[in-house]
Amino acid sequence: MIFREVEDRDLILKAQKGSVDAYNLLVSRWEKRVYNYILKLVRNREDALDLCQDAFLKAYQNLKKLEDPARFSGWLFRIAHNEAYSMLRRRKPEDDIDTAPVDIGPGGGGMLPVETALAVEAAMTRLSPEQREAVILKVYQGFKFEEMAEILDCPLSTVKSRLYTAMDLLKTALAPNGVRNESNA
Amino acid sequence: MKVTPDQLKDYVFGELSAAERREVEAALHADPTLRDEYARLQVTQTALFSVREEEMPRRIAFVSDPVFEPKWWQRWLSAGPQLGFASAALVAAAIVFHAVHQQPVPAPAPVAQFDQAAFERRIAEGVARALPAALEQAEARHKTQLASVMQEAESKYQRIRREEARAMEAAYNYEQEKKKVDYLRSVMQ
Repeated sequence: MIFREVEDRDLILKAQKGSVDAYNLLVSRWEKRVYNYILKLVRNREDALDLCQDAFLKAYQNLKKLEDPARFSGWLFRIAHNEAYSMLRRRKPEDDIDTAPVDIGPGGGGMLPVETALAVEAAMTRLSPEQREAVILKVYQGFKFEEMAEILDCPLSTVKSRLYTAMDLLKTALAPNGVRNESNA
Repeated sequence: MKVTPDQLKDYVFGELSAAERREVEAALHADPTLRDEYARLQVTQTALFSVREEEMPRRIAFVSDPVFEPKWWQRWLSAGPQLGFASAALVAAAIVFHAVHQQPVPAPAPVAQFDQAAFERRIAEGVARALPAALEQAEARHKTQLASVMQEAESKYQRIRREEARAMEAAYNYEQEKKKVDYLRSVMQ
């Protein structure tokens, strides 16, 4: 992991000096994570791909502004977050994202077992967008609370509050039937 | 030490220091209610992990993007060695041309009649002879590669499926055992 971070730092420094090859390598390392992050936010593969492309383009154009290469991942996800929310805000009036159907068609990410994955998708749609994103950043992307606060541009306490509430809701929604009935009683 | 539900979540998410982790572990050891809550959080996390990352429909390509193509003057500046080589080649060509131009031009040698139809016939026959074997080889190679990829994908699928099933079964068994213990406790009381 440390070795990988050092390598990323080297690539970022080279890319900052104008090496497109170094940046291409960075893209190939991070594109899948960024794509999956955006996909979970916008829930549409084509949109996610376009936004992912835009995010990497914007990151390239602003790479020289990144002072600390160690913060690259958080900085990149912040850009991806902004791109996704810009699109969601533009589309909000005619296409409410909270009621949009979940896009988990065939070929969707090797979800196993299917029933659990479907239950998780359903439970995630019942969270608010902010709570959902907190879960995505923590559980699926493994960011620390401080990094999440930077990406979401909000206080640490807000990040924690969103995540704790989301986990309580998910815990109830995903509990085995007997336990759920007990907790509802 | 009293561990709050939020501290327990921090423990699950790996956000505590080593000392804090030890405190939570001691509390977990001593408090069955806390252990139940911890188990529920683990079941939730296991369920969340069942949604896997998707492969990208296509890679993001930047090399071919016009935004990243160098400007004409950047190309010109970076092409110093190529320009030098091209100039030298031009001078050499001029010298050769000059030398050839000075010599008397010999009479053209008689050229044998070229049979275009026979030539094309020979080519067609050669292609017809070689094509089936080449196709067969390509097909065999493709089949071998496909079988290998399919086998690899199937074994990966089975391995993931087994891991998932084991995790879910462990979680389920834990919940069942817990219920039994709770029931026995209530009966004994």
